[in-house]
Amino acid sequence: MSRLLTPAMMRTLLPGLSLAALLAAIFYLQPRTMSYFGLNLLLNLAVPIALATIAQMFILCVNDLDLSLGAFISLTACITATWLNDAPLIGILALAACVAAYAALGALIHLRNLPSIVVTLGMSFVWTGIAVLVLPTPGGSAPGWIRTLMTLKPALVPFPIIAAVVIALTVHFGLMRSAAGVVLRGAGGNPKSVERAGWSMLRVKCTMFALAGFFGVLSGMALVGLTTSADANIALRYTLLSIAGGILGGGEFVGGRVSPIGAVIGAITLALAGSFLSFLRLNPDFQIGAQGVILILVLALRLLINSRGTRA
Amino acid sequence: MKLTTLGKLCCTVATVALVTGSGAFADTSGKKIALSNNYAGNSWRQAMLTSWEKVTGEAVTAGVVASADAFTTAENQVTEQAAQIQNLILQGYDAIVINAASPEGLNGAVKEACDAGVVVVSFDGIVTEPCAYRIAVDFHAMGKVQVEYLAGRFPDGGNLLEIRGLAGVFVDDEISGGIHEGVSANDKFNIQGSVHGDWAQDVSQKAVAGILPSLPDIAAVVTQGGDGYGAAQAFKAAGRDTPIIVMGNRHDELTWWKEQKDANGYETMSVSIAPGVSTLAFWVAQQVLDGAEVPQDLSVPFLSITQDTLEESLKTTQAGGVANVEYSLDDSKAVIFGN
Amino acid sequence: MNTPLVDMGGVEKSFGAARALAGVDFQLMRGTCVGLVGHNGAGKSTLMNVLSGLIRPDAGSLRIDGEDFDRGYDPATAVGHGIRCVFQELSLCPNLTVAENLRISHPSIKGFGWRKTAGKVILESLDQIFPGHGINPDSEVGDLTIARRQMVEIARAFSIVDSQVDLVILDEPTSSLDQNAAAQLVTFIREFVSGSRSVVLISHLLGEILTASDTVVVMRDGVVVAVDDTTNFDRERLVRDMGDVLVDDSGFGTRINTKIVNSDPVVTGPRENGHQLILYPGEIIGFAGLSGHGQTNALVKIFEAAQGARRAISATEPAVFVAGDRQSDGIFPLWSITRNISVSSFARLMNRFSLDFDREDDEAAGWHKKLSIRTADMKNNILSLSGGNQQKALFARALGSDAKIVLMDDPMRGVDVGTKQEVYEILTEEAALGRALIWYTTETDELKHCDRVYVFREGHIVAELSGETLTEANILSSSFEAEDV
Repeated sequence: MSRLLTPAMMRTLLPGLSLAALLAAIFYLQPRTMSYFGLNLLLNLAVPIALATIAQMFILCVNDLDLSLGAFISLTACITATWLNDAPLIGILALAACVAAYAALGALIHLRNLPSIVVTLGMSFVWTGIAVLVLPTPGGSAPGWIRTLMTLKPALVPFPIIAAVVIALTVHFGLMRSAAGVVLRGAGGNPKSVERAGWSMLRVKCTMFALAGFFGVLSGMALVGLTTSADANIALRYTLLSIAGGILGGGEFVGGRVSPIGAVIGAITLALAGSFLSFLRLNPDFQIGAQGVILILVLALRLLINSRGTRA
Repeated sequence: MKLTTLGKLCCTVATVALVTGSGAFADTSGKKIALSNNYAGNSWRQAMLTSWEKVTGEAVTAGVVASADAFTTAENQVTEQAAQIQNLILQGYDAIVINAASPEGLNGAVKEACDAGVVVVSFDGIVTEPCAYRIAVDFHAMGKVQVEYLAGRFPDGGNLLEIRGLAGVFVDDEISGGIHEGVSANDKFNIQGSVHGDWAQDVSQKAVAGILPSLPDIAAVVTQGGDGYGAAQAFKAAGRDTPIIVMGNRHDELTWWKEQKDANGYETMSVSIAPGVSTLAFWVAQQVLDGAEVPQDLSVPFLSITQDTLEESLKTTQAGGVANVEYSLDDSKAVIFGN
Repeated sequence: MNTPLVDMGGVEKSFGAARALAGVDFQLMRGTCVGLVGHNGAGKSTLMNVLSGLIRPDAGSLRIDGEDFDRGYDPATAVGHGIRCVFQELSLCPNLTVAENLRISHPSIKGFGWRKTAGKVILESLDQIFPGHGINPDSEVGDLTIARRQMVEIARAFSIVDSQVDLVILDEPTSSLDQNAAAQLVTFIREFVSGSRSVVLISHLLGEILTASDTVVVMRDGVVVAVDDTTNFDRERLVRDMGDVLVDDSGFGTRINTKIVNSDPVVTGPRENGHQLILYPGEIIGFAGLSGHGQTNALVKIFEAAQGARRAISATEPAVFVAGDRQSDGIFPLWSITRNISVSSFARLMNRFSLDFDREDDEAAGWHKKLSIRTADMKNNILSLSGGNQQKALFARALGSDAKIVLMDDPMRGVDVGTKQEVYEILTEEAALGRALIWYTTETDELKHCDRVYVFREGHIVAELSGETLTEANILSSSFEAEDV
């Protein structure tokens, strides 16, 4: 029992508990959501956010921050809605190039020792620029198979829940449980020690940025699958949502402390917070502020747990 | 068993016949309608929301519908509005009226709504999803009507100056296209020059002042709204005779027109879209819920002000605002079924 | 026939102007524990960093097991030849579990079930070295106490997966361990070297060195000054050898009773273990001891007290701080020299609405002359100065303010000798004018300019030396003396 209540355990449980509390409140406010159909509608837009949060989490894990993620996902969404639909081969190549560009960014940031915030902030304009070139006016259409996948109605469990679980578990095993993942996370905790042990920090950073790019691509594709079309600004909100989701899910800005399961939960929590507030009939002008308050509440709880942990 | 089924079938057929016959049959007093709006940051949108509130408030009080709430997203983002629409579905609204952030980005959410049996009506910022109703503004006609009016004023034709809107925007192309079509239909008119006024008085004034010295006598100025007052000032500054300038329903334009009318009997017309179109969308949604057969694509009539209605319109228009018109159920029916 | 495991000859290494290693010869036989001792900056850590491949020496030879290494000796090579190192600063990843940390340093742990293997290996190692340690291999390192982290760090260096371990370098391994764990480690070291494996032990606890090692190597100023069997050493000899025998103690304790007559103390600390920190106007007092034993912390506390915070130490006058780490704590890199000096005096230099630029320039010109800051124009960017001259500008900033208490955190780091002499004179002058100065320095020689010296060990003052008792030997022995082992 006492093992269950260690600070690490509480840290892990907190995002899940926050989500459960929010979900309970939503079910109470709007019983209609407590159904297959309701959960589907409530959660389907959280899937691309969850993927974006996972992408941001990889960056957070190596003590960097990606301020271009929203713009990047908009770009991949535009590519998905145009090239991937019209000429799949070119589309796949373009998306692969996006991932490669992210890996190169990681290398640049590491080699020149540049602050990632500045580099990615600059890149966000580049991504948006390319997105406008790819898709000058809103439009395009989702490739059929993505649309089919995103609107899948499996028996019993709604698709968004299955997707969230699959995403969380895949990344959890890859990053948290595998031997290779340990090195990637260690690089966030103590890069010097990892380097001393003979690992290449360059490779670590490239890998992490490439993974972020890969999940960014997935996020863009999932988003187009839901909206059926794209525009160059479609996912700009995702930059901040992904950072907030990662932090809400138990991640920290420095020190390589991240949690994929937490990140997915955090993303869903943020998406649900929006629904919750609109079910409350809160004036939308206050909604962003209220989302911020929810974020602060959860973080304050985490701080409380941490300080209790250090006192113990 | 067999009989009852048959009986039911008969009833259904009868109902269908009745609906198509009378146009309004079902009771909508228990129905809930929501407005999903992507942006509220300018005076036109504010007027639109005020109109919605006023007209739907009366409808709710009168028991026509149970509720009609307006929801505006905070960030004018597609993903945010899509989530909002899905939330509205979950909240059990029977119809959702949408002013969309993107013509296609919301299609996924709109499809979800249709699949859930929710009536979707889009206006102003319309959506392309086929299951939704669209109340589109016929900007093309808005351009054309100006030339038609001028043709009545100048049977012998004359030189025109065209003030366009913001370059590269769909609306600008549409209105201009309508004007040009009107001109080719009345070949006595000649467009002598064309400038971009960006729908703003100051920009228009500068642009017109810049092109005036190179122009012959101008009989009339065709505009897109928000630019008439600036054009008048430019003509005045250049010391030229004031041509017939088509106005765009803005308060300053109407005021100027009134002054001229009182001083020298100046005559023109004014045309633009009324923000009250949101109330039309509301009635369309109500009519659909009512069981009326409404065409999937409707066209919003634009709001014209003539010499006779000038005073009245000016009185009801707020300073800095736009002339507005709100639709009653009967007005809406006239739009829906009238043509 | 008896090839040394490690044989280093004539190793030299300079960092800029500072010569860290000035031709060091170092041998290490298999099956021995070598105790490496020396004062701050004697070159112990640098030498060990060369041995573990982290620092490339400027000159000298390195043989391991008779194999000559010239170029391309890096950490991987060192690890490949069975050399492991526990560094002074902790090098675990705090966000990983104990077992996961083992995986970082042992790449061969992988594949299915690696986590179990890693947990087993580190647990075995921990059990062997620190029986009864109570550490769970699945705990996150960040949640462990410092002492337990250090145990993990040590156990990790000794754990064997598939490559051999021939030599483990322990740099101050017991600094955070309690006595019991430290004793366990010493016992284990003896056991470990009973075969053909070796240990290099660096410690400021002389008792530990004398118990654990077979051979003692004493370093001073970048050279080895004594190598002998441990049995031939006692504490007195160690302290004597570490001290600068060539330079006499004259000059120490010559500044006495310079405090301003009838003045009240400006800094008063709590009395602990019979020692109390007191500072009078007119005095220069020194903080000594091994680096990182609480001196900087004490300075910060005094500074905070002077700013009005409630601290155990009280300070009755305003204080200024001269930072030793110029780059991170001291200079404003985008500003001119003038502005860097005047920043602490803005309040005084204000006329009604803005800075009085003429007076700012005048004062800067005064410092330019007084401290002979080597620049053509005080308007130049601060970075145009050499390190020593940047430090002079920081002194000017401190001395230019009204503050009566001047706190100096090892301010002469990386400053050339000429500059030092100039600064020493100015400090003496300032004290004579009624200022009170506290000077933390890692260079024993500088303590000659102090009235009294407080020696710090493990966060506390353990000795107050002045007059005749202020000698290098006393400073050293207080720095190293721990509980009698």
